[in-house]
Amino acid sequence: MNNSVISIQNLCVNYITPGDPVKAVNDVSFEIQQGEIFGLVGESGSGKSTVVQAVLRTLPPPAVITGGKVIINNKDILSISNTEVLQYRWKQISIVMQSALNALNPVLTVREQIEDVLKEHSDLKGKAAEDRTKELLSLIDIDVSRLDSYPHQLSGGMRQRVVIAIALALMPPLIIMDEPTTALDVIVEREILAKIIELRKELGFTILFITHDLNLLLEFADRVAIMKNGRLVELDKAQKIRSGGKHDYTQKLIRSLPSASGPREKGLLPKPKSLVLGDQPILEVQNLSKSFYDSGIFNPMSIDVVNNVSFQVFPGEIIGLVGESGSGKSTIAKLITRLIRPTSGDIFLKGSNLKISEARRVPLEYRKQVQMVFQDPFGSLNSVHTVYHHLARPLLRHQLIPEQKLFDYINEMLETVGLRPGTTFAEKFPHEMSGGERQRVAIARALSLSPDLIIADEPTSMLDVSIRMEILEIFARMRIEKNLTIVFITHDLASARYLADRIIVLQHGSIVEEGIAEDLIQSPKEAYTKQLIKAASPGWLKSLSFKNTKEKDVNHV
Amino acid sequence: MDNNQDSIFTRWIIGILRNRKAITGVVIIFLFIFLAALGPFITQDPTAFLSTPLSPPSWEHWLGTNGQGQDVLAQTISGARQTLLVGFTTGIMVVLIGALIGGISGYYSGRIDDFLSLLINVFLVMPGLPLMVILASWLPPGPATLTGVLVLTGWAWNARVIRSQMMTFRSRDFVSAAIVSGEHNIRIIVLEIMPRMLSLLASSFIGASIYAIGAQVGLEFLGLGDVSTVTWGTNLYWASNDMALLTGSWWNFVPTGLSIAIVSFALTLINFGIDEVTNPRLIAERVWREKIPIDTVVNGITPVVKDHE
Amino acid sequence: MNQSLNYLLRRLGFYFIAAWAALTLNFFIPRLMPGDPAAIIFARFRGKLKPEAINALRETFGLTDEPLLGQYWSYLKSILQGDLGISIAYFPEPVTNIISSALLWTIFLAGFSLIISFSLGTLLGTIIAWKRSGKLDSTLPPVLAFVGAFPYFWLAMVALYIFGFELSWFPLGHAYGDDVTPGFNMPFILSALYHAALPALTMILVSLGGWMLSMRNIMITTLGTDYISFAHAKGLSSRLIMLRYAARNAILPNFTGFGMALGFVLSGALLTEIIFSYPGQGYLLLQAVRAQDFPLMQGLFMTITFAVLAANWMVDIAVLFFDPRTRK
Repeated sequence: MNNSVISIQNLCVNYITPGDPVKAVNDVSFEIQQGEIFGLVGESGSGKSTVVQAVLRTLPPPAVITGGKVIINNKDILSISNTEVLQYRWKQISIVMQSALNALNPVLTVREQIEDVLKEHSDLKGKAAEDRTKELLSLIDIDVSRLDSYPHQLSGGMRQRVVIAIALALMPPLIIMDEPTTALDVIVEREILAKIIELRKELGFTILFITHDLNLLLEFADRVAIMKNGRLVELDKAQKIRSGGKHDYTQKLIRSLPSASGPREKGLLPKPKSLVLGDQPILEVQNLSKSFYDSGIFNPMSIDVVNNVSFQVFPGEIIGLVGESGSGKSTIAKLITRLIRPTSGDIFLKGSNLKISEARRVPLEYRKQVQMVFQDPFGSLNSVHTVYHHLARPLLRHQLIPEQKLFDYINEMLETVGLRPGTTFAEKFPHEMSGGERQRVAIARALSLSPDLIIADEPTSMLDVSIRMEILEIFARMRIEKNLTIVFITHDLASARYLADRIIVLQHGSIVEEGIAEDLIQSPKEAYTKQLIKAASPGWLKSLSFKNTKEKDVNHV
Repeated sequence: MDNNQDSIFTRWIIGILRNRKAITGVVIIFLFIFLAALGPFITQDPTAFLSTPLSPPSWEHWLGTNGQGQDVLAQTISGARQTLLVGFTTGIMVVLIGALIGGISGYYSGRIDDFLSLLINVFLVMPGLPLMVILASWLPPGPATLTGVLVLTGWAWNARVIRSQMMTFRSRDFVSAAIVSGEHNIRIIVLEIMPRMLSLLASSFIGASIYAIGAQVGLEFLGLGDVSTVTWGTNLYWASNDMALLTGSWWNFVPTGLSIAIVSFALTLINFGIDEVTNPRLIAERVWREKIPIDTVVNGITPVVKDHE
Repeated sequence: MNQSLNYLLRRLGFYFIAAWAALTLNFFIPRLMPGDPAAIIFARFRGKLKPEAINALRETFGLTDEPLLGQYWSYLKSILQGDLGISIAYFPEPVTNIISSALLWTIFLAGFSLIISFSLGTLLGTIIAWKRSGKLDSTLPPVLAFVGAFPYFWLAMVALYIFGFELSWFPLGHAYGDDVTPGFNMPFILSALYHAALPALTMILVSLGGWMLSMRNIMITTLGTDYISFAHAKGLSSRLIMLRYAARNAILPNFTGFGMALGFVLSGALLTEIIFSYPGQGYLLLQAVRAQDFPLMQGLFMTITFAVLAANWMVDIAVLFFDPRTRK
């Protein structure tokens, strides 16, 4: 029985370059059945986004579709005329785009951006169009008063909902969702997803859902396809994949996903045999506050980013600082590494007050003791310098290693973080390495000064899922081998659980709860902590489906 | 083993020179410089009052003579010398000042930035020509005055652009990483950020030179240069004074004008080339366009070109 | 709305500072030069003015015997009262009179050319960027860039020579013919337009490339954004996307660029006037330089600067009006 909404056969897409073309999609085939939720998973460079954009033929230059068929409604969209393509779009398939936050035209209102689709593809005009627009907004829980708002006046979650409303406008048989919630905080993300699934049950459309987060997909997808390097490597029912799948890559992906609830699984990160903390904290933060004066042209105001935060970190431990965007966690990182100065409060390193509010210069000694690993592996390395330069500069600056021994020391450092052979990597430039390799270089750079304390600010959030665990492993190993203390900052509670000994939960610049990692996860005390854990655990969909997800203006959801 | 400044610079230059547009522009400029330098040896004396004034091109005078009976070809080639010298000198000085003020302003932010920004904006918004005219009238005529006046009215544009770039880089993590490693600010600016700004500095230099040549010619045309010297601008001044237009002696002003345009255009080409090198997407798109049959290209619809069936 | 007003007032404040800087520069430049500025200026006036008139002139320039600050003060007072002194070249006309009549012609010619050039250039840039492939994009930009490489006034010379001298299609100069009387009558207006045609054409031609290129570049960046991809995916018509989505966004930074380029473009316009003996500010500038008429020169500097500042402020208002992101 041919109940397929879309049938992709042997699709091939190339990107033209001055040299040889790059094969972004190589012979990909699959079908989606009416009414199902079909998931497409892949890491960066897998070609998953290219596939869906090819289906709509919206790939920008230098892309070319070089082969295959895409059959929707008995027509092959790759061989019809250009005018027919325009008719297909939005009526047969619509798309909720990746980084949908940027999908909205900044100079048009919400109303105008929904109505132009209606005007283009249907006969609705004037009052009828407006009614339909209002109907769509209420479907997705947006207050009708937002009709004449501009995109910049809406929060991230609201913009996402508007884009979904636009996608629903003509009620197409197939809706593609390309990483629709990746940029949102986990709680908001889960709520919007629950809403989408609820709507699907009501209205009956088919969903093609693309993401790099396999865990997420297994919660609600019927079938899942996995792509790697432009090819389809696995395609099966969700349960079968959850239990392991056939391909090695699938298994690797499944194993890379730590969970934020339930019992701790095997294969944990190495921990010291006994964690004797001692009574003298290595880092103490007291009543730290930071407000930014936004001297914006239009609306100068004071924003409290960090609000009276106090905590202690003991030598040898790993602290997980967990919070969503706006929680102040990155600002705390910058305060501890003294990239910015606090509005008030004190920081003590090894017992002595740094007097950070007054001190203008940061003593060189401090730079040796406290180091940082940044979130963006590409941005934290300078593209014009080699790996060798990145590691040598700090060493020369602090005059730690005599020049003759520099070469060997750097090679050794590179091999410690897993870059073998060190000599080859030392000569490379950042763009010649993968994201994971660059992050290893960044870690080596931080380690080379033999610091006492390392602040790791979201070190894995911009890396592919399959290598995140490897990077966390390096941190765990180094803590033992190099006698380090680590402050691990992240939005992902699950990774914090895996790496950290203790966890501190932040919200809106204040500490909500803190405690030993396992205890906090198993028996959280505060409501916010419970919310976070629930959102990151399997079964979140069921718990949300029965709730009424009315839009929360106060939380800017 | 370590990459020093030289190789970053060399690599960058090689990258630029691989670009068709850039190399074309560079060749043309060098041609002019070469001719200008050789001037006195290959042409007649531009200042000699030789023949009948305003005579059209002939075998004796390839480009004819001007209102004083001087050889136009000699005047054109000889005029290149000072014009190009003042132009490029101004270019270099403008970039240096721009890098200094724009760089400091963009890196340090705060009150320094507030003050320097204000300074930049004030100079930017004031119209250049009237100010130049006043300055040049009060000062003794000559290349030094010209250079000074041009630099004073032209530094602000580049300073602003450089400041903007500096601010972007300043917020990047690699700068934060250098600070956390304990590097001195000056070292960060010079060794970490400036190498990333090579293209910007180069195109600033070129843009400033184009401006300097044009503005210089304008001032000299008004009579504010040293009218006894031979430059492209004074050539046009004399041409206008000698009623070149109304006597129909087009050879009096066309060669100089063409030379100015060719040099400016060549410099613009170099800038286009630098643009393409820094934004490889432009090249990728050009290559894409060349390889796809024209009729399949429609804005917004990916073309389908099957390479197998 | 309050915030927008706030912004505009801050910009106005900036323009006041810039105007003040210009005034101050004007004051100090003569004094920084070698020699006694008073002697230089008044040497030209010798024999022409009565001593009382000369004293009045000294007041205007603040070249009195007071200490520097006092001089500065009297100078500012004169300027703000609209007294710019007496011209040497057009003696004994006051500078303000000479400039005001010329100002109108400059605004007419330069303003007219600027608006056409900007509009046409922006439109061309939009179309060229949209039709990504095609002969237009590979020929027009280089051609216009080459044309734009010529000095404004040189092209004016060539145009005057070919169309005025050789072909006699257009008049050889001035703002209107000898056969009409100035005023709000048809013959005069037609004559004015006829005389403005050639200079305007040359100015438009030279500056067209610049506007076109800058709009094209901004459009290309805009066309690479997500919301354009989304607009395509929505199946909207090409024209709608090009205008309402792309151009509408791209024009905002272009407007700002327009404000900044104003001073530069005006300079070119002034030189063009000279070629055509067009009685505007540029022509006056030439006369002033020839006669070493410092009062006139400094008066011109003042008025041109103020005009550019005022125009910039109007551009600020326009940008504010067109960009909804400025509304909270």
